[in-house]
Amino acid sequence: MDFSIRAANLDDCKDIARMIMVSGHVRAHLETDGFSKNPFFHGIIAEVPEQHRTREGHTKIGYALYFYSYSSWKGRSIYMEDLYVMPEFRGKGVGKALMSKVAQLALAAGCHQLNFTVLDWNKPSMDFYLSQGCFDVTSSLGYHCMRCEGEALEHLAQL
Amino acid sequence: MNFKIRRAAKEDCKDISRMIMELAVYEKMPDQVKISHEELERDGFCQNPFFECLVAEVPEEHKSNEGFTIIGYALYFYTYSTWKGRAVYVEDLYVMPEFRGNGIGTGLLSKAAEIGKKKQCVRLQLSVLNWNTPSRDFYAGKGAQDLTVTEGWHTIRFDGQNLDKLANEAPKD
Repeated sequence: MDFSIRAANLDDCKDIARMIMVSGHVRAHLETDGFSKNPFFHGIIAEVPEQHRTREGHTKIGYALYFYSYSSWKGRSIYMEDLYVMPEFRGKGVGKALMSKVAQLALAAGCHQLNFTVLDWNKPSMDFYLSQGCFDVTSSLGYHCMRCEGEALEHLAQL
Repeated sequence: MNFKIRRAAKEDCKDISRMIMELAVYEKMPDQVKISHEELERDGFCQNPFFECLVAEVPEEHKSNEGFTIIGYALYFYTYSTWKGRAVYVEDLYVMPEFRGNGIGTGLLSKAAEIGKKKQCVRLQLSVLNWNTPSRDFYAGKGAQDLTVTEGWHTIRFDGQNLDKLANEAPKD
């Protein structure tokens, strides 16, 4: 199947929001946070030609969102926040192409790591990623992901 | 104990680099540190910095046994959740052992949270090693949830040759 990968622009936010919503979550302020002077993230889009558009008429059928991060041991890194392909377009290499593009952008920016998170029960995703050559930092090194939000964060910020 | 928390300046990078190594020794992975103060200076103090840093400083009369007055740091950067928006990720939080128990760690973490809040961040995130009980207790005491335990999140990484290989497979423009 013919598809292309390109950088996301402001006009893609509606489609990115649509694809985020399909996964069942309320979206954040994509336009202001991703397309202003100091963006909090960057995006890439997977697009198919008109003849392969979905029943609803969409040609933007996958995306990846990433941002630059830092390892005090290894230096510049990239974090891939989202990787998504619409179900009817899976199994055709689109997810792999999006992820590879993020890896390519990482190297171009002088990054030494590409990090992301996966739920341990999500076997299809975990198997896919491990087959591509990554390793599970949590299982092999013992790092746990911690989060402070809501009242706990408010309280912490006021100490 | 009298201490001050302030934004790191480029000149602090040698001290930050020293403490990064001390933290890596504590985490039992000193051979994993590949960057020096030069990368910190380049990446933290450029036009679009990859991170921000806070340092904890004590007056001369409280300097460490080796003579250091910069005795703690927090290195953090901004991240994004497509579900919830802006967040802060604290990559490192460290206080030299002889200065612990004086509220300096709390001071550094709180300052990072306050800075994040001013930028409309709604989350503060970090990683902690499963065997590091003092740190796990410290963060739990601040109201942090362990998402690996409660929701099953794992951090996955591509690096070295595996990252190169993945990048080589990207579609040509």
